[in-house]
Order: sequence, then structure tokens, then C-alpha cells
Amino acid sequence: MDVTEILKSLTGTFPEAISEATAKSEIRARAYVDKEKVKEVCQYLKDSLQFDHLCSVCGVDYIKWNELEVVYHIASYNHPVVLTLKARLPRDNPEIESVVPVYWNANWYERETYELYGIKFKNHPNLKPLLLPEDMLGEWPLRKDYEGFPNKTARNLV
Amino acid sequence: MEEMLEPNEMIIHLGPQHPMQPGPFRLNLKLKGETVMDAEVELGYIHKGIEKILENKTYLQGITIVDRICYLVALTNEECYVGCVEKLLDIEPPERAQYIRVILEELTRLQSHLLGTGEFGGFIGFVSMLMYTIKEREDLLSLIDMVTGARITHSFLRFGGVRDDLPPGFKEKTLPVLNNLKKVINDFEEMFHSDRVYKERTVGVGVLTADVAKSLGVSGPALRATGVPFDIRKNEPYLVYNDLDFKVCTETAGDCFARVQVRLNEMRESIYIIEQCLDQIPNGPIFPENSLYGRRTPVMRVPAGEVFHRVEDPRGEMGMYMVSDGSDKPYRVKVRGPVYPTLQALPPLIKGTTVADIAAISGSMDGCTSEADR
Amino acid sequence: MDIPEFIIPLIPWIRGIVGLSLVGVIFLGAMGAVWLERKLSADIQCRMGPCRVGKYGLLQLVADAIKLFTKEDLKPRNADSLLFNSANIFMIGSVFLMLVAIPVGAVFINGVEYPLAVTQMDISVLYIEAVSALSIFGIFMIAYGSNNKYSLLGAFRNFARMVGYEVPLGLTVVSVAIMTGSLSIVEISSSQGMLWNIFLQPLGCFVFFVALMADMGRLPFDQNESEEELVAGWITEYGGMRFGLAFFAEYIHMILGSFLVALLFLGGWNVPGFVANNSVLGLIAPTVFLLIKVVFVLMVIIGLRWAVPRFRIDQVVDLSWKKLLPLALLNLVWAVGLGLYLGA
Repeated sequence: MDVTEILKSLTGTFPEAISEATAKSEIRARAYVDKEKVKEVCQYLKDSLQFDHLCSVCGVDYIKWNELEVVYHIASYNHPVVLTLKARLPRDNPEIESVVPVYWNANWYERETYELYGIKFKNHPNLKPLLLPEDMLGEWPLRKDYEGFPNKTARNLV
Repeated sequence: MEEMLEPNEMIIHLGPQHPMQPGPFRLNLKLKGETVMDAEVELGYIHKGIEKILENKTYLQGITIVDRICYLVALTNEECYVGCVEKLLDIEPPERAQYIRVILEELTRLQSHLLGTGEFGGFIGFVSMLMYTIKEREDLLSLIDMVTGARITHSFLRFGGVRDDLPPGFKEKTLPVLNNLKKVINDFEEMFHSDRVYKERTVGVGVLTADVAKSLGVSGPALRATGVPFDIRKNEPYLVYNDLDFKVCTETAGDCFARVQVRLNEMRESIYIIEQCLDQIPNGPIFPENSLYGRRTPVMRVPAGEVFHRVEDPRGEMGMYMVSDGSDKPYRVKVRGPVYPTLQALPPLIKGTTVADIAAISGSMDGCTSEADR
Repeated sequence: MDIPEFIIPLIPWIRGIVGLSLVGVIFLGAMGAVWLERKLSADIQCRMGPCRVGKYGLLQLVADAIKLFTKEDLKPRNADSLLFNSANIFMIGSVFLMLVAIPVGAVFINGVEYPLAVTQMDISVLYIEAVSALSIFGIFMIAYGSNNKYSLLGAFRNFARMVGYEVPLGLTVVSVAIMTGSLSIVEISSSQGMLWNIFLQPLGCFVFFVALMADMGRLPFDQNESEEELVAGWITEYGGMRFGLAFFAEYIHMILGSFLVALLFLGGWNVPGFVANNSVLGLIAPTVFLLIKVVFVLMVIIGLRWAVPRFRIDQVVDLSWKKLLPLALLNLVWAVGLGLYLGA
């Protein structure tokens, strides 16, 4: 499947949810998705466009614009296109729907994003910390204003 | 998992320190007699915070850190990181450097598969297998040592090329090692096929079908053993894999025996690839002419943008997502290791099997906790 | 022989000293078996094995014994004291009880055979079988008294294995006894002459060897102590000299098992007639022959450990009840027929 066809089909089905869909190269595409519709978009990708492999789910902290972003990389076992979906969330109350019902292996990725950034995934089967110890819950270490635990000695140099 | 224990059941922790594990992680098991009713994996014992560290180091300093995500396959991790930065900078290494990278990465794949097969033998009680594979691995590590100067954490790749050229006499030293390795792989295969006890322990154990493997997110030899020919070197070729002739090895059974067989076949393909590279490698520079980002430039600014680059790690598909904001340090680096989904897929695989099979299944999936924890 | 007067009250002391030195010799034999295992396994795995302590690493075991003696003796808090402390007695005790009935050689003086055994009983084979089953008590006492789930899993596997393999073991021994017509191990061994029992009952020898490996708990049958799954299984909580004693008991059991195979099936100490009548050779040759056979069987047992993977426990039980037991019964029928034919 061609990357332009994929983007056309995606923007055609979800005109309001998808914005700024661009094709960076023949095998890479990027789109911003509305945070309410993430699960439906993923379901459509898996069913109709053969995107059945979730590479990763991660978070990025854009402190300048007061936003957190959840980035989904979705690929396929049949064609080489990788689609990057980004969902913008407000920094004070980041919540988004979980895609575990669509992609089974999103489970651990979402748990890790939750404990590192504080993004809550609604309807996640088991949202507990995965990598960090229990007493670090609430510190959100990978945010840019993280100062260190338990003594506030760390500063982000950038 | 602790609630509602029936009279015959008990909870046992295959705890952080265990002779069987490839790294510390905790496996909580609910056993009824010898059968596993429920399992849960707990990670985080060696979480180093590599992603946060990489945000505070320059791009060149990041190469040494990315080495240590999984120290056994350091060159593949470096390739992923350096490939990301090269895509952001929009430069391409010259051909000789690409061939050198391919040779070193295939050598890494060989020694990782050898260790994985040997460890698997060790887990099912076949300790001699571990000793044989470690002995063969020593020759390969000496070869890598000759080029990069270190046996495990190399710091050899640079943006736009490699650090040093191949030493003189490298081809003459490599070819005998590869010929010996071909005989050794044939020996191993014959040993596995003719050993009755080994077959009883591995055939039909931990069976994955193609659909289940795809939905669990598994990649690498475990997926190829179920019949899905998914290999990043063929799907989106990077470096010079387009010019090389090799095939993707698959099996159909999906059990432990098939996974080990896929690894042995992949070793043969890697040897073939290295031989082709040694024949086809052109003479030339190992850095682009008039390049700003030579190996002596420690501080360099990368234009703003984001990129997602994938390579074929010996254990599966490795990816890195890098966001740059125009300064000399990355804004965000996300490391997607191949072992993370493999470990996640372990509890559904071992439910219903016995304790003895856990060793066989987790050994054949070839895990590495260091990469999952980062 | 005339015994001088002053020695008679000293005889119990002499017997005590001889007995203790025999114990020392047995431990030395166990040390030799461990050294043989380490060197043989190193050869199989293309490495060197112990080579620094003493010439060819012969004193490695002395170094290990010193290390084990000087370790701290730990006991888990909730472990059952009686079981934990007394389990070693059962293990070493059963091995030494087996020792008294097994002849370690023979001397021929003027053509008359004197087997070197501590006691010669009429039912020695039955006695050896019965006493070797005592060690299972020791293993279970350790496993249950440690208050550790790994040891408990090891104990369950042990039971399943022992129960399954005692039956073929006993049946093959009984077949040999039927064919010979006696239960005394000395008679079975010396009545073989030059036609060893392995040629008369090859199936019996094979079944006995497999059942013996399972009885001793050697790979491929060492599920109860499989390090990779159960972190040393039944002996997880034992450290220091407690572990050392259990370790030695296992190796002495291995030596005794090899003796059994050599005596029951490989012709024991039988030598051709001209050697028996020779005065000098008759003193040394039979014992040396027996020891050569024992070392050969020992090397087969040791080599097999490093050459095959380990079975799963359900495969072990399956093997004993579905495959070995019918073969043992078949061998029994064959032995009865052979005994009638030879007797007639």
C-alpha cells in the first residue's frame, strides 16, 4: 500500500480527528490525532489498512507549550510504512483512552508512560508502575521540570 | 494474584536472583502441584534511566551510553542511534563505512545467537552446550576486538562513518574462523536432531501460532519460527543490505525446537553475508569528504525534527524515536527494544505448562533484562 | 593361627581402628570419584578442570572440604529443628549400611577364595536393596524441614521418581538371583565364572543400569536438584558441611552403585584358573580386576551426565511405569526360563 493512499484513506474516514497528516518519505508518515478518538483510529488502522504491529507508545514533554504528547508508532507486518500518531494533552490533567483492547502489547508501554510522565490511560486493565519503585509514583521523572528524588538535586540542563 | 488460593496452590517467586534468568526480574507464579496457573512479570531491578541520561548528553557522548542498553549486542544499538542522527542530519556514510558496519553487525549477530543457543542448552540441563558455544564465541570476539578495540562495549560508530578502518590482514583471519563455524553449526544441528531427550524437552513446548505471535507483538526469531517472514533487513533495507543476497529463515512449528533451528539457520546466513561483504568491499574513505560532522567534532548542532529508525537486532526489531530541537543535545530519545514485548508475552505462554517448561520457553525466547529495563 | 595372649583384650580396639580406617578409605574413594568427575567433565567440555591445587588438581577436594568446614552453619528461622539437623544422619547412615555388605575384592590363597567384605550374609542383595531406600527419608526430611517452597517442589519430584524406579530395580536384581539360585551377592559374583551375566541377561543389565541412574539421582534424572529451575532444589537451605556430607553421600552411593553393576553383571572378581592358582597374582589380581570394572562403570555414569539434557518430571515417571516396568517383567520371564534351562 502506498503511503499517500494510506493518508488519503485515513483523512477521508476521520476528517475532524486527524489533522496535519504529512508523508515524510515513502515509508514514514505522521499525523496528529484528537485525544478522544485515538482508539477508533487505531481500530480502523488495524482492520482496514493492515496496520497490525504496534511498535511503541511513548510520551514527550513540550514544556514550552504547556503540553504533553503521546506518540504512537504503528507499523505493519505486510508493508513497510510506519505511521506516527501524536495526541496532544494538557499538562495539568493528561488523560487519554487506552488502546490495549486494540493492540495487546500496548499494556506495558502505557504503564511505563504513566509512571514516567503521569499520563493516565483510561480503562487500562492494570495501570501500575512497571520499572520504577513504588515510592516514586507521583514524581514523573521524565518531565522537564523533574528535580530529583528524594533530594531535589537533579536539573535538566536543556 | 494473592487472593483466592485453593488448598493445593502455592505462590512461588522465581526471584530476582536465580541461576536460570538472563538478568534480574521477578516472576511470580501461582502453582498447583507442578502446573502454572498464573504468572506475572515484575521488572525494574536494573532500571538505569538511559532515556533521561541521553537528554543531558551531547550526541557524541550518547554513543557510549547507547552501547550499554544491551552490552551483548552493542553495535546494533549504536547502529540504531547513529542511524537516527544521520537521518536528522541528512548525511549518508560512504560505501566502505557501510560495508564495515554490516560486517561488524553480522559478527555481533553470530555471537549473540551462539550465546543464546548455549544458554538455552544450559537452561534445560545440557551444560556442555554452554561450554561449546562459549568456546566458539571467543574467536568471534577476538575478531571484533581486532577491529574496534573492545570485546563488548565498542563505541565504534560515528555520525557519517566509523571510527577506524579495518586492520590489515582482517580478511585472512576471518575466513578460517567462519569456515570452522560452519562445521560447528552443522555439528550442533546434528546433535540437536539426534538427541532423543532434547527433542522430548523442546518439540511441542511453548507453541506460538502466527496470529497469536502477531497480536502479542513478538518479533525476531520467535516470530520467524511461526512462519511469518518479517525481517527489517528485507522490509526496509538500511546500509547495503539491498546489494547483498540472503534469505529470511522461517520455520512453521513455532515451538522451542523451531526457534533454535531458526537461530542456527540465521547463523549460516550471517556467515554468507560476511563472506559477500569481504569480497565486495570497495576501497575508499570511511568518512564523507568535506564533512562538518567528522569524528573530531564533539559539539555539533542537529537541525530540529523527529525521526523513527528501525534495525534488525539479533533478538528482533529495535527502534529509536528521536526528537531534536536544534541544540547539541537530543530533546527526547525513546528506545524500543526487542526484548520488551518478548518478556511481556511470557505470562500467556507459560500458563498451563509445568515449572520445568518455563526454563525451556524463556531460554528459547532469548531474553535480556538489561534491554527491557533500560 | 596362634594369637598371642596380650592381643586378645585389644581385639575390639583393633577392630575399631580397622573400621575407622575403612571409613577413611571410603571417603578417599569418594574424593577420587569427585576428582574423576571434574576432570572427565572438563575433558568433555574442552576445558581444563582443577589443575592448580596439587599435581593434576588431586588436592582440590581437600581445599573444598576445608572451605565447607569453615562456612557458617545457617538454619532458617522457621525450619523444623529435628528434621533439619538429623537428616544428614539418614543419608550417610544408609550409605554406610550398604557398605557393610558389598565385597570390595577377593584374595585367592591356595586356590580358595576369600571375599573381602565386612559381613557375608545369605540375603545380602535383599539387604542392600532395603537399605538403599533409607536415603529417601533423608532427602525428604531435608526438603520438608527447610520451610522453603523450592525444596518442597524438589521433594515432590523426588518421591515421584523414587517410587517409580524402585520396582524395576528390584525386579532385575531378583531376576539375577533367580538365575543364580541364591540371594547372596558373594555367590552371585563368584558363580558367574567367565560367562558374565551381562551376556546372559543383556536386557536386565540395561534396565538395572537405567533404574540405578534414576535411583542415584544422576542426570538425566536429577530433577530434584535441577539448578536451573529450582535453585538447587531439595538442598537449597543446606550450607557448609551439611551440604558437604550430603554431597559425599551422593558420590559414595555412586561408587556403590558401580560396584553393584560390576558384581552382579560384569563378572565381579572372577579370574581365569591359572591366575587363581598363582600365589602372588592370586592375592592382587581379583581385586584389581574388580576395581578396573568399577572405574569403567563410574566413567560411563559420569560421562552420561554431561552428554544429555535433563528430562521433565512427567517424562521421568512416564519412562519408569510405561517403558521400564514391562521390560523388567520381560527380563524376569526370560531369567526364569534361563534358570530352568541352566539348572536342568
